[in-house]
Amino acid sequence: MIELDDRTLAMQRRARAWAQELKPLALELDQDPDAIHRHLDVGIMSYLTRVTVPPEFNPDPVVIDGHRFYGTGTLERVVFAEEAAAGDAGMLLAAPGPVMSGVLVDAMGDEQQKKWFYTRIMEKPTWTFFALTEPDRGSDAGAMSTTLTPDGDDHFVLRGAKHYIGNAARADLGIVFARTRPGPLGVTAVLIETSAAGFTAEPLETIGLRGLRITAVTLDDVRVPAGQVLGRHLRATQRGMWSAVQGLNRLRPGVAAFGLGIARAAYEYVLDNRRTLSAAERHRLDRLGLRLTELRQLIWRSAIAVDDNEPAAGYLASAAKARASRLAEEATLEALGYFGPGARLDHPLLDKLARDARGVEFMEGTGNIQKLNLFTGLVQGSLRRD
Amino acid sequence: MTGRVAATDEWIRYRRTARHDGLVPALSLLYETVCDGGAPPRGPGGHVVAPVGIAGAVTGEVLATLTVEDGTVIASRSRAEPPSGSTTPWAAWALGVTCLRFGLSERLLDAALAHLGGRTVGDAKLLHQQMVKGGVAEAVIEQLEIATMLEGATPGDLDDNVLTGLNAQITETDRMLLRLLGAVSFLADGPGQVARVSELIADVYFGPARAGEHTGENTGEHGGAA
Repeated sequence: MIELDDRTLAMQRRARAWAQELKPLALELDQDPDAIHRHLDVGIMSYLTRVTVPPEFNPDPVVIDGHRFYGTGTLERVVFAEEAAAGDAGMLLAAPGPVMSGVLVDAMGDEQQKKWFYTRIMEKPTWTFFALTEPDRGSDAGAMSTTLTPDGDDHFVLRGAKHYIGNAARADLGIVFARTRPGPLGVTAVLIETSAAGFTAEPLETIGLRGLRITAVTLDDVRVPAGQVLGRHLRATQRGMWSAVQGLNRLRPGVAAFGLGIARAAYEYVLDNRRTLSAAERHRLDRLGLRLTELRQLIWRSAIAVDDNEPAAGYLASAAKARASRLAEEATLEALGYFGPGARLDHPLLDKLARDARGVEFMEGTGNIQKLNLFTGLVQGSLRRD
Repeated sequence: MTGRVAATDEWIRYRRTARHDGLVPALSLLYETVCDGGAPPRGPGGHVVAPVGIAGAVTGEVLATLTVEDGTVIASRSRAEPPSGSTTPWAAWALGVTCLRFGLSERLLDAALAHLGGRTVGDAKLLHQQMVKGGVAEAVIEQLEIATMLEGATPGDLDDNVLTGLNAQITETDRMLLRLLGAVSFLADGPGQVARVSELIADVYFGPARAGEHTGENTGEHGGAA
């Protein structure tokens, strides 16, 4: 089994303490996603608003027990994400910060772009977004129809639509994927400002994870300076989707940890609210606790693989994410079962967890997509099994 | 469970109305025909889920108001004793709710087939991807089992444990279909919201479904008839 070192344990303890502040806010945010603006003073924001900003751009990192934390390590982020999601997944997703787009800027940005992006992030709490998915086409890069076309010597024009984009209606900055020409190498990514003319983001009402405030984004001839096209300094094969895939591989263990956090919250809700359990109930709950432990180990393994640049990292992360989304659903339904008929109405926090859990399936690739990816890793020999 | 088809027309109507017209028309029909003007049945915890406008449906505290594709339902709870003279038969109600939820599950399958059939991956329909085909087939197997159990059933034929198990199985089947539908099933104005309310109805009248098991083990005493 994997054990955490002192540094990561320090983060775990602090994140657990931060998460306690989130629980009382969970139902308020579920009712009103804009409530996030009233709670930007909770302790966890000191980390979330700057997570993934590297040391050269972050002179004031979170310091815990003498350790500096920049959120650039995957294991650090998954340990944090589990704790925060166990507090409230909605608050975690609603928070300002650069997590997803920051990983992409780190992978694809040149020095000037990084400086521009991270300077903006460090100025004030700033929401960002990451727009890959399209209406009716999902994240199938081959079918992507949003276009980026030259407009004079120093600008491009962005035209198209994106769907299910978290936080875009709150964001100042974001990354949009678009097609510059047909073919697999014709997809690229651009940094954009939401204040640009032609950018609109309409919130979509969801069943759970309402804090995320997912949106439908319309890009109606949005002008983009050429300097905001990411990856221009990279080889053609390393731009666009290749970098997106690398970035998503780095983020996927965190999504799995997010699902684990929801599942754990349901498990702990039973422990906290059922004073006595029958032997059969105790057995079932113990079994659920073991499944949480097993998943946590798998997530940590995938995170360590990402941090060590192992070839199997993305595949391990797919395994963890597929298991996490399913366990989040199963654990929340199981937890409701401990409270009898009407549990969804009498235990609104547990009902919220069950609704939130449904959303994990669709974050960063469905279970089927993850299984297909895992299979690829297996038959290509990337997944070490000894 | 054979030879009694003629006696089950009423129960088939709940299922068909749910499948073809949606949740609110089917739930309204169930109230009209089973309650016969009497107070709606409460679940064992004193909860009621009813469409807006059903007389006597909201007797206590309103806990949730949920908009679904074709109307609004209200979930409420009353701690008071049910009014005397209430005669809604629990057995008829429980079977009706189960048939209704099964019809909604069939409606969800119809929605999934239409949605996945209209999307493509590369040059092929998403519905024709092998994993998707397998996933749909898994859900259909569940539905065939449930349909066979319900076929010909009249009130009292299937006891509460069986109906509780069937309702858990319907919830699990719906979850399979919701995962296949993709992110559209997470929107509050789509089929995922109907599935949410369907789960709530099961929760109120039969207790929550436990993931991975539809063994018929009830989680509380049923207080059934109001």
